[in-house]
Amino acid sequence: MKGQKRRTFLKNSVSTLGAIAVGGGAPYVFSRNIAKAQDGGTIKVGILHSLSGTIAIIETSLHNAERLAIEEINANGGIMGKMIEPVIEDPQSQPPIFAEKAKKLLLNDQVVAVLGCYTSASRQSVLPVFEEYNGVLLYPTLYEAQECSKNCFYTGAVPNQQLDDFEPWIVRELGRKKCYMIGSNYIYPKETNREWKALLEISGAENVGEEYAPLGHTEFSTVINNIANSGADYVFSTLVGDSIVAFYKQFRQFGFTPEDVPICTPITTEQETAAMGPENAAGHYTSFNYFQTVDTPENASFVERYKAKFGANEVTNAVMEAAYFQTYLLAQAIEKTQSTEADALIFDGLPGQEFTAPQGPVKIDEKNHHTHLWARIARARDDGQFDIVWTSPERIRPDPWVDYLYPNKDCDFTSPEVLERLKKPWSEEKNRSGTMDI
Amino acid sequence: MIWNQFALQILNGLGVAAILVIATSGLAIIFGVAGVINMAHGTFIMVGAYTAAVVNKLGGDMFMAMPLAFVVVALLGLAVERGVIRWIYDRPLETLLATWGVAIILEVAARLIFGPLGLKVDWPDLLDGNIKLFARPPHYPYYRVFHIVLAAAIMGLTFYLLYKTNFGLKVRAVRRNRAISGCMGVDTAKIDMLIFMYGSGLAGVAGAVLAPIKAATFDMGFTYAVSSYMVIVLGGVGNLLGIPVGAFLIGEGETLLAFRYNTVIGQLLVFVAIVIAIRVFPRGIFGYHERR
Repeated sequence: MKGQKRRTFLKNSVSTLGAIAVGGGAPYVFSRNIAKAQDGGTIKVGILHSLSGTIAIIETSLHNAERLAIEEINANGGIMGKMIEPVIEDPQSQPPIFAEKAKKLLLNDQVVAVLGCYTSASRQSVLPVFEEYNGVLLYPTLYEAQECSKNCFYTGAVPNQQLDDFEPWIVRELGRKKCYMIGSNYIYPKETNREWKALLEISGAENVGEEYAPLGHTEFSTVINNIANSGADYVFSTLVGDSIVAFYKQFRQFGFTPEDVPICTPITTEQETAAMGPENAAGHYTSFNYFQTVDTPENASFVERYKAKFGANEVTNAVMEAAYFQTYLLAQAIEKTQSTEADALIFDGLPGQEFTAPQGPVKIDEKNHHTHLWARIARARDDGQFDIVWTSPERIRPDPWVDYLYPNKDCDFTSPEVLERLKKPWSEEKNRSGTMDI
Repeated sequence: MIWNQFALQILNGLGVAAILVIATSGLAIIFGVAGVINMAHGTFIMVGAYTAAVVNKLGGDMFMAMPLAFVVVALLGLAVERGVIRWIYDRPLETLLATWGVAIILEVAARLIFGPLGLKVDWPDLLDGNIKLFARPPHYPYYRVFHIVLAAAIMGLTFYLLYKTNFGLKVRAVRRNRAISGCMGVDTAKIDMLIFMYGSGLAGVAGAVLAPIKAATFDMGFTYAVSSYMVIVLGGVGNLLGIPVGAFLIGEGETLLAFRYNTVIGQLLVFVAIVIAIRVFPRGIFGYHERR
């Protein structure tokens, strides 16, 4: 397996040298040659997830989900009668290497599109590359939104898809209106809490405290005391990583039960509940678009095939599910346009593309390149899985700039004004985003 | 301010101080006697935590894991001391670098063996539950009380070992003047080795008892290493009292400031206070002044 990868790599690098010699220094013209990717009867798709380094664990699972989807598509006859050939790169969890590898995939391997990235830092590192060389990136992670790029399609949730229904649900179903916010000290929790505070205000609930712990912090006795002191009747947590496990455990040690004060969060998944011991998570609430327990035939077969291929103990999660279905969306887009040109995929193939994913039917929004997803609220069980207690009646439209915080900002790739701007060559107009002020 | 909450906060500070004592004692003893700053101390704690996680998985509880972690990590310390450090005892910079290398090797090894996701470690059933100080939670967990008792026990045991035994007499002699002790017939290399094993073993115990409040993760050592260095810098290594006093000041300082302001500002102010304290006590509060 490893040897094979190295061979492919060598082969690619040799063909690369030739490509560089031909391509010269004119990237804009160069990018038009992308149809070359069909050569040899395969369609090349880049996979750009870290297989080593600090975030390798989660990214390896995304890599696996995408490989699984590609295998399934190939087994069903491929696209336009051609097989998909995955071109795999390992950016080693380092954002600058993500950019390097993205450039290699686009210029040397001439891939049709890239499935990749996990953290916001890695996405922001590769975006200029995709914009400059007019490539296509499909990005599977939930993130803080407020971004919009012609060349990127976001298949993970943005805050409005996890929060907008969650807060009113807490008021309505749990009858709780005093919220204490605890988060890790970086951008995602702070942006999420900004939106949460606006939602609290809309439903007349009360913000009784807001606190941030340094990344990796695992000592929560003081925070727990502050929560008690504030009189909160629920906690909204945007802690990440090891802090999640430490907080849930210590919360229980200090005598809080989910009946007294439930923890509500858009982050904690099956992976964290396993690491903390499920009895510490049981009864607390998580809002996500996908859980392993989602009851659809597509999910049953997805979980079964994933476990059959990667081991019976593997747990599927929301980001993996997005990685899986975004591969299908790409295949369908290529099939629809019968083209491997980037512009064909960006303006015709991918926008509006629909697929019945494990979470339910999803669709890429024509205007903002994010994805219509289902919203779900679930209560953790004592076996580490989640009981889904609420599912949105229909899929939720993604809104990178929510109206109640940014009434004058939006993203629209169908507007004539934006399209006009995008037609200009890269050198004249560097802004390839579809952001507009209205 | 609610007085109930304030009283609980004093106890929380004590709990944090106990954690600091448990995490620091091994490092401080090795540094104080052998003069080696063990950069791998945090990873030794991590190895102890994984030992507990394995015991947990096999159905044992934490009380079984504690002695086992002591033995496992003491043997690891022995291997590191015999294999690496004994060749470079008198060169502080090289020991820093070498032990740091050991830390990286151990961390990567842990990730390869156990995977990057955290492993769960339960607290023992005996320590499940809490003392209901007030009518409403937060109640004070038995597990924190256990930390405080254990911290006192570790300090007591170490004090006994250093000040009441023949072995301790030799250790103190080596610390005061290595050359003369050697001339008087003390096997200084052996003392160094045994102290390194004892300090490493304590780091193992620390890992085993700290993991149940979080999870065993390959990168957990770093935070404990940093706070351990802070305790040593503040408390000094001249006297065993430096550890509990340093830990108490940092623990209470951090929690009370976090209670008054917030966690981030609490940590920030404690760092500022330590910088000022170093200006006043360059060798720590209980700094050891060499006799010339």
